[in-house]
Amino acid sequence: MAERASTLSLVTCTSCGKPIPPGTGSTKFLCPNCGEIQIRRCVKCRKFGRSYKCPKCGFVGP
Amino acid sequence: MSEVKDEKVGKEGETTGVTTEEELLLPRDTLLSAGTHIGTRMKSRDVEQFIYRVRPDGLFVLDVKKTDERLRVSAKFLARFEQSKIAVAAARLYAQEPVRKFGEVTGAIPIVGRFIPGLLSNPLYPKRIEPDVLIVSDPRADSQAVIEASSVGLPIVALCSTDNDFSGVDLVIPTNNKGRRALAIVYWLLARQILRERGELAADKDLALTVEDFETKISREDEGS
Repeated sequence: MAERASTLSLVTCTSCGKPIPPGTGSTKFLCPNCGEIQIRRCVKCRKFGRSYKCPKCGFVGP
Repeated sequence: MSEVKDEKVGKEGETTGVTTEEELLLPRDTLLSAGTHIGTRMKSRDVEQFIYRVRPDGLFVLDVKKTDERLRVSAKFLARFEQSKIAVAAARLYAQEPVRKFGEVTGAIPIVGRFIPGLLSNPLYPKRIEPDVLIVSDPRADSQAVIEASSVGLPIVALCSTDNDFSGVDLVIPTNNKGRRALAIVYWLLARQILRERGELAADKDLALTVEDFETKISREDEGS
């Protein structure tokens, strides 16, 4: 059981940095500007229109 | 006064990386005459970053340079998707013809008029479509499209005016999303830029269709009423 928990890795939201729970509503897309980094946004950050920043090129969205 | 100041910023910007007037996708006068910068008398906190000034009559004016910059970024973003996997929603009457033409030129799927609930999210609906990205002409008018795209996890690109908020939107193009001419010019520019990014159109060439072709035509009867 402990072994299973250690292998579980949750992706984090680019806006808030919190792990994104599995399920619908979150999204992922390549950075609109550089296209190299994958941006992930959780449901709440999308709903509240929170900004995200590309760690590579510094593009700030939405 | 403010215009003069703005031009100076543009000239200095050649070294600082700010977009200059020469680098705009279309001449500034064309964009201004089409009213792409005209917002509304309402302002949301989200759009504050794109607002240039407030006119004495209370209208908020958008920054043309930021519109231009976002159009470029959006085109770059959309060009990475397969052309048949891009859906464009337009509930507004004036956005419908530009969206149809945009679909013709770029190969995107136009969703004009009423957005049938379940079109994106109901697996039992026979006419369901499964795009990879959605463009909406107005997040408020196309709220059903935004809700469904959010629920299935599609990235959303939206044309936002000063009164829109960014709820559910992943990439914003700040522009006038109510004007007939403004919508035509924005979709025309977006289509041209996408084709250029894909390499289907040379950087100095224009589309075969003109901005007037993208514009919604008003019949004589409509003008009279």
